Amino acid sequence: MKRRFANIYLIIVFAILYAPIIFLIAYSFSQGDTMTNFHGFTWRHYQTLFSDTRMLAIVANTLLIALLSALIATLIGTLGALSITRTTKRVTRESLLTLNNVLMVSPDVIIGASFLIFFTMLKIPLGFSTVLMSHIAFEIPIVVLMVLPRLREMSASLLDAAQDLGATTRQLLTHVIIPFISPGIFAGFFMALTYSLDDFAVTFFVTGNGFSTLSVEIYSRARQGINLEINALSGVMFLFSLLLVGGYYWIQQASQKRRQRKREVVS
Amino acid sequence: MTKRRTWTYFLPYGLWLALFVIAPVALIIYQSFFDLGHHFTLSNYSTYFQSATYLKMTANSVWYAFLITLFTGLISYPTAYFIHQLKHRQFWLLLVILPTWINILLKAYAFIGIFSQAGLANQFLTFIGIGPQQILFTNASFIFVATYIQIPFMILPIYNALDDLNPAFINASRDLGASNWQTFRHVIFPLTLPGVKAGIQAVFIPSLSLFMLTRLIGGNKVITLGTAIEEHFLTTMNWGMGSTIGVILIVAMIVVMLLTGDQKREGGTPR
Amino acid sequence: MTQPIITLRNVTKRYGTHTILKNINLTLESGKFYTLLGPSGCGKTTILRAIAGFMTISEGDVLFAGKRINEVPANKRNVNTVFQDYALFPHMTVAENVAFGLTLKKVAKDEIAQRVAKALQLVQLADYGDRAISALSGGQQQRIAIARAIVMEPKVLLLDEPLSALDAKLRRQMQYELRDLQQRLGITFLFVTHDQEEALAMSDEIFVMNQGEVLQSGSPVDIYDEPINHFVADFIGESNILPAKMIADFQVAFGGHQFECADAGIPDNEPVEVVIRPEDLTLTTRDQAKLTVTIDTQLFRGDYYEIAATDNLGNAWLIHSVNPAEDGETIGITFRPQDLHVMRFGEKEAEFDARLETYEELEGDNVDET
Repeated sequence: MKRRFANIYLIIVFAILYAPIIFLIAYSFSQGDTMTNFHGFTWRHYQTLFSDTRMLAIVANTLLIALLSALIATLIGTLGALSITRTTKRVTRESLLTLNNVLMVSPDVIIGASFLIFFTMLKIPLGFSTVLMSHIAFEIPIVVLMVLPRLREMSASLLDAAQDLGATTRQLLTHVIIPFISPGIFAGFFMALTYSLDDFAVTFFVTGNGFSTLSVEIYSRARQGINLEINALSGVMFLFSLLLVGGYYWIQQASQKRRQRKREVVS
Repeated sequence: MTKRRTWTYFLPYGLWLALFVIAPVALIIYQSFFDLGHHFTLSNYSTYFQSATYLKMTANSVWYAFLITLFTGLISYPTAYFIHQLKHRQFWLLLVILPTWINILLKAYAFIGIFSQAGLANQFLTFIGIGPQQILFTNASFIFVATYIQIPFMILPIYNALDDLNPAFINASRDLGASNWQTFRHVIFPLTLPGVKAGIQAVFIPSLSLFMLTRLIGGNKVITLGTAIEEHFLTTMNWGMGSTIGVILIVAMIVVMLLTGDQKREGGTPR
Repeated sequence: MTQPIITLRNVTKRYGTHTILKNINLTLESGKFYTLLGPSGCGKTTILRAIAGFMTISEGDVLFAGKRINEVPANKRNVNTVFQDYALFPHMTVAENVAFGLTLKKVAKDEIAQRVAKALQLVQLADYGDRAISALSGGQQQRIAIARAIVMEPKVLLLDEPLSALDAKLRRQMQYELRDLQQRLGITFLFVTHDQEEALAMSDEIFVMNQGEVLQSGSPVDIYDEPINHFVADFIGESNILPAKMIADFQVAFGGHQFECADAGIPDNEPVEVVIRPEDLTLTTRDQAKLTVTIDTQLFRGDYYEIAATDNLGNAWLIHSVNPAEDGETIGITFRPQDLHVMRFGEKEAEFDARLETYEELEGDNVDET
């Protein structure tokens, strides 16, 4: 009885959660031009999408920004996490963490607006470089937050043991620390990637006129009304998300299994 | 590690902290003291606090964010609770997360279609005999879509809190004579409150600043703090006033954080 | 004969194809201290959960004072549990924790206060009511967990390895206190542990479990002196277990010799095992010896020496001796007939008890004569 209620409740919630997405993708195959009545199956909107060179360039831009910013943010964030764990004073560490989290909790508009002021003051022309810098900036804290727990898990005796066995500082970093925290680094890179792909508000503020990412493009097209090419784009992006989620899930499972196997070997 | 080496490691991160965390916050505060003519002034603040429009807009924005957070919470807690009881809960949780990977603008765009004059929602209303209504560009549609978008961000922290809850607490409560409801009210809910608070943090603050939704779904009828900031920065180019509202938003954010921050003195479960 | 307070009748628990409890039968009487003893994963905690009502059993009956309670939910059972990790509610103070069950029952406020104070006093933490749980040490949390359970005045208190998180010294102290508390309250305690010393020290009766079965039940002395099989002998205390052959009643052969023993009722020439406890072996000169062994190593244990030795057939021996021996020395060992205990392969508890009865009567006659 109670179980039944729970199941019905969950079915409704999941239905609501997925209805808009399914709706969106379903109409990408409709022969009409509106999202009202389904007019029979067609690939037309996908053909339009793939011959829309402006859109394809924007997709390329978006992916370039995402990959580049995620890579750089992962590098800086990992170094940041390393420095945070190396701090000996509790106060210093706490304040570094607080500062780190400022961009995590700030609303997008604040980040966007303040970056806009910042870039304008430095007279940096708005465009690719400002979008890239902004993305790197708001991705760094999430990388730090993903790497830190792994660093904390690493026991001091592990480092002592490596040093005891003659590892130099550099070897310690490359042979012990980096391999150990690599799941955290991966997760951080991945989250950075999704943050970048998902961002609209910050990009909207700092993008200027010549440069556009997918979110900004969708926003301006959506303001003009229904255009089933966007539906087709949703279909492609949904597929892409599924692949990313699947990949992320697979990496997680694999690393978990590897850790488990290691534990079995140890015990 | 030598002192100098440590510093080279810290340098990029430190630069980021200085340039992209401290400087922007300082700049937005600084900018809020300048008017359109670039003169140092307090007039932005005095305008804000004397203008009924601004104050009403702020109150409205807070009220809508409150409603969105409330509805999100009411829907999300049972969802998290029921998912946690499922057999393949990791899988179902993944299904909750998946929609967050769809670009927020695409989801908003979907609702433009669903809520349109001849859209799915109106077809349904016609079907049950109410007849088509104006749904898009109303306050209700804004709240609905915002709630829809925020639900996963509320479910996740609550689910995690439920997952962290030691099942022995539930057994102990039952053992001491508590019914299911009493166990929930006195043990499960209080112990998962940190998850709810984290959810409120994750939902309330963004809800104050969702300007794209107010534009696409609310049809500019709902003006949130976020909409006002965007308008001042990108349309009317009154950065001083925009920054002032930004500072108000930052203050609101800090207040929410303080209200929902985890009270360390409560102890919690020892690690 | 008092009415048993808890009875498990043919209780079986399966998870999928995995059987965790196999046809468990046990009876608990009022006012006694019982222990479920066994290695981790043997099903002892599962029995506790079945009695507490935290899970449903696959087959069989759980009876409380003669009434079947299989379907009675945990919150309606008159038993209370002290959990392994205490499960004290972290969002409540000590007093709120102890008062929790009474508050739910809508007991009058002043009565709650009075009973909580009494329970806290009983566990010697009378002044701790206002403290936060996180401010307590492990030992104090342990006591609060006990207070929270006994304040409900249960007929049966279930304790799930409650001492396992404490250090050795505190654990010993708590053993005394728990035993004392049980006797003062006069209620039944069912205590789960994997620590055989704990079980021997505290219990009126022990159930030794392995792989979902109760292998043997009885008083600590019975179980220590007359283990039913290799597992029980090995699990409880230290022991020398040797392959042997029953020659006739009260005659058993091992280590290349034949010895007088105290066991009977076993077919002649049946292969059996013999248990001798290390403290029952006495070092002696070779001419007075029953067996000769060569000393391998020895460890000083404080109140005795633990000596490892090998006999000429290659059997390893463990001897506890007040006096040291010399490494490499060949020395004699001796023991009394009643120090030998013969175990048959695959004998069940019922058969074992029946066999014991037949010749213990005989023995009883013998004792009368002397």
